[in-house]
Amino acid sequence: MRQFFPVEDLARDERFVQTNMAERLADTRDPMEPESKRKSAKSRSASNRLTPDRPDASDRARGLMHGIMVGEIQALEGAGRTAHDFEAGDGSGDTIPFELKLDMARQAWDEARHVEISAKLGDWMGTELGEFQENTVLFEAACSNDPVLRLAGVNRALEGLAIDVFTQMKEFGDLAGDPYLEFCEDWMLADEVTHVKMGSDWLRKVTEKDPDRRTKALEFQQVVDKLFSFGGARGDHEESSFKLARRFRELAGFTDGENDTINKLGVDAFNERNQAIKQARDAAAAFADA
Amino acid sequence: MSALVAGQVSVDPAEFTQVKYDANEIAAIVTSLAETLGVSNSISLIVDETTPLAKITCSIDAPSSDATIVIDAMSGAIENTKQLTTLGVNQTRTSVGRMLLRARDRMRADFADVDTDDELTLAESAAWDTYCAGRLARAGIEINTQRWRYNHRNRFGFSDAGDADFDRLWAADGLSWSEVVAGIAAD
Repeated sequence: MRQFFPVEDLARDERFVQTNMAERLADTRDPMEPESKRKSAKSRSASNRLTPDRPDASDRARGLMHGIMVGEIQALEGAGRTAHDFEAGDGSGDTIPFELKLDMARQAWDEARHVEISAKLGDWMGTELGEFQENTVLFEAACSNDPVLRLAGVNRALEGLAIDVFTQMKEFGDLAGDPYLEFCEDWMLADEVTHVKMGSDWLRKVTEKDPDRRTKALEFQQVVDKLFSFGGARGDHEESSFKLARRFRELAGFTDGENDTINKLGVDAFNERNQAIKQARDAAAAFADA
Repeated sequence: MSALVAGQVSVDPAEFTQVKYDANEIAAIVTSLAETLGVSNSISLIVDETTPLAKITCSIDAPSSDATIVIDAMSGAIENTKQLTTLGVNQTRTSVGRMLLRARDRMRADFADVDTDDELTLAESAAWDTYCAGRLARAGIEINTQRWRYNHRNRFGFSDAGDADFDRLWAADGLSWSEVVAGIAAD
């Protein structure tokens, strides 16, 4: 079987349309509703958080649920690749411990279940498979040739994001009174905490005698974490779509310092995106005036 | 805004810079949609391309059958969700179609006292959306019923009573405003 699968070759049928982070960030529209158009501080996008009191709550929830589903597909593909792409060994070079392969296989099993659950939740919410664009950034983080970078990028950054998103979705289901959504997200959240913990533990273990490799992996994680901030959509700040689920992250092996760093990356990404939006607005105004 | 003749559709802006929308294509979709729904009024569609949000509202300039319908849409309301920043034909039909039916309702005497779209409560808006989406489906517009059922449940509860209210509105035609929001009064 082929090893090291490029993102372009992911198997999808004609229902799915893929995009990447560069395309998404090229969209310079401002997701925050202009203050002049808000009815009140609780209006649609006074905050970007997904709460049932948003007028667009159900459509936003449907879009997010679809994003979760394709994320689960990619997480399944990523974990499966890591279990297969590397030979069993002591963790040096291109090898990974056999027990790490087993953990990746277990994760692939979990993700397959999550895909099924998420697809059924999509049905429940009135969403068709492929109705929303699929961002392949998650699988791209799983394409590194170094297994330790995959642990950092996928298990810690990607699955860490999943902890934040699932916590938010679970809260949404709870507040909206949706019995299935709240229940399913809670169960999947428990798995994600385990996946992050596996990544944290294996990263420490495999790089125990190789501090340079660990440093490189943690730097890579920061790059991925900033990408996963989606232009500042995640963090403790009010404008973010997803709040950092700090308690669950602690359980998964993140330190306070690491969570603070992720939050800061989100703020930086938010400011950069705002700057890009401002430039696009200025350019559009200049075009209109011409 | 220039004066419109009956049945004319205008789209503003005429040229888009932040999204890949074509004003003529939008006008053609809306014209065809209005014909399907039997709406012969002049229609002015104003698209805010600076935001990807999907809010859409409508108003009429007078409570008469020849009123001009003004629709304010954020770009996400007519966007192809499979290919962001491009125009979604079905999304346009669904979003603008709901607004055309709302506008037609507003021309009725028994909708005269209804608040503007911006002033409606979330439950009022959801009930009206259910009523409009059901009529769109019967007019042959491609509609995912479960999407609107989920929207209704989010406002009226995940319960048999909420579902019964959805079924009532979905199958209805010719309702007065008090009948549209009867499910709210019953809560």
